[in-house]
Amino acid sequence: MDAFAQARLTRRSLLAGGAAAATLVASPSILRAQTKELVVGGAAGHKPWVESTVVPMFEKKYNCKVIFEGTRSLVNLEKMQKNKGSQYMSVVQMDDPVMILAVKEGLLDPLTPAKAPNLANLLPGSTHMDAMWANYLQPWLGVAYSKTAMKTPPSSWAEMFDPKYKGRIIIPSLQNTEGLPALFVAGLLAGGTLEAVQKDTDAGFKKLAALKPNLLTIYTQQPQAYNLLEQGEAYMIGPAMSSYALERKAAGAPIDLVAPKEGVFAMPSGIAVIKGAPQSELAFAYVNEMLGAELQSKLAGPTFSLATNKAVPKPEGLGADVKIHQIDWANVAAQRNDWIKRWDRDMAI
Amino acid sequence: MSAARRLDPVLLLAAPAVLYLAIVYGLPLLFLLGRSLFGAGGLASFGSFFADPFSWIVLGNTLRSAALVTLVCLVIGYPTALVLARAGGLVQAAILVAIILPLSVGVVVKAFAWQIVLRRDGIVSQIMTGIGLWSEPQRLLFTETGLVIGAANIFVPFMILPIYSVLKLVDPRLGEAAATLGASPVYRFFKVALPLSLPGIVTGIAFVFSMAASMYVIPSLVIGDRFQTLATLTGRSFLFMRNEQLGSTTAVVLLALTVAIVVASSWLSRRLGGAS
Repeated sequence: MDAFAQARLTRRSLLAGGAAAATLVASPSILRAQTKELVVGGAAGHKPWVESTVVPMFEKKYNCKVIFEGTRSLVNLEKMQKNKGSQYMSVVQMDDPVMILAVKEGLLDPLTPAKAPNLANLLPGSTHMDAMWANYLQPWLGVAYSKTAMKTPPSSWAEMFDPKYKGRIIIPSLQNTEGLPALFVAGLLAGGTLEAVQKDTDAGFKKLAALKPNLLTIYTQQPQAYNLLEQGEAYMIGPAMSSYALERKAAGAPIDLVAPKEGVFAMPSGIAVIKGAPQSELAFAYVNEMLGAELQSKLAGPTFSLATNKAVPKPEGLGADVKIHQIDWANVAAQRNDWIKRWDRDMAI
Repeated sequence: MSAARRLDPVLLLAAPAVLYLAIVYGLPLLFLLGRSLFGAGGLASFGSFFADPFSWIVLGNTLRSAALVTLVCLVIGYPTALVLARAGGLVQAAILVAIILPLSVGVVVKAFAWQIVLRRDGIVSQIMTGIGLWSEPQRLLFTETGLVIGAANIFVPFMILPIYSVLKLVDPRLGEAAATLGASPVYRFFKVALPLSLPGIVTGIAFVFSMAASMYVIPSLVIGDRFQTLATLTGRSFLFMRNEQLGSTTAVVLLALTVAIVVASSWLSRRLGGAS
């Protein structure tokens, strides 16, 4: 995988180098009018909206060239580790759990309001670990349900526990990032506060055990779970990711996603500046634009996500008063392996 | 003489295969063994693995599902192999194609197909309620029964082919001779055909059991996260929990288990082969 990524990189940079050399030979005047280049690392899935919306706007405004490298969060982390001291990427867009690892390796440059003024306009809880990174767009987690199987949409997370849905409920595995709130929701239903149930998950685990008769399965492969929901074998999936469920709905699947009254959870999508980044000023400007209302309002719709800038209204389908819970990812990183161990024992067939 | 045999140039033909396996298989295996024995926890990690009751559940899941898959494969596979060995010409070719062709379909595709078959409104449930064996539609998907049925379908060729290859070498006149001496068909089967085919059965069991004990894709699609086996636990330890110590421990336990099965069965098959 890494070797493959490296090889692609080399080939690409060779091609780019060759093209640049050819242009130089053809028109020497370009030497003086050289445009700056900014390399942004992110998820492969981000490529369509980054290249169609973010890049043109940014290149025009800052008179520069943006190269987006789409791969996986852990691959981005490795690129940063290997090039420590001589980074070629300036900005990185990764999931929060991977950001924590990057902070521990000392790979990130903290964001400050002086360098990225839009930090001041973010919703509370959108920056983490002393503003080492910020969340820009957040897919949200609610309950997805089959419109053919259920006449009235679920209004509460508690409905997944209703005995009449025996064998009809699917939840994500705790090993999937979107699976963590299942544990926290169970804690909330057992009567804790969000902060307490994240720190001490015992009540959550006990409550989840009551869900076992209702479970059709616990998924690790998202498409498999939605297949079962769309065909009516499953009635509900929760927590379900807006970026997946609403995309399936838009494609015509007979499902929908609701925001239960206890609130929804925000999924982590972080952006950060790499320490020792080339074009550091441009890098902070890029982050600042991604945190700004203009770009976020353009992106929230097509990515079925929540904006983190206060000025951007909540997307359709989410009531204005719905609670959005933020997850304490540092706490998750510290405890997750123990949770998975208990999960395997408690949730087994 | 012995010196000449040691230098037999034909042995050199094996060199590419030996070299290839040593690099891509032997060396990583050594690393794995090294890590599990001399890693952070060392031998103590085996101690804590076996001290944990959950490990025994996982071990039990692995062995029980593999044994059931092997049993189903044997019950289905033996008669098929018998028919295949007796059949001639076009019929034999047709059966062989029917057995071998499905091997070209990926495991993921087959596991996915079983999901559809085993659903509550799937064909199994429809047939069982249709003929009145089940009073209401049931779901076999995400149950151990479903896992065994699905896995047996995928592994059954590996039971049929070794048994067939032994059976087709058995002289058909042996059965006829027994018949002329007055042996009933049942007696002929248990006293003549079955003992002669034992080496094939043992090989088939070794194949299917070791594959079923280490299957990863099939359980993760057909039964899901709630049924951990040594293979799925190894994958999860390395990929998600980043616990390389636990991962290499479970991998070595699984390896020891399957190596024991293969060695025991090859010993058994040699003994049985010699006896006949």
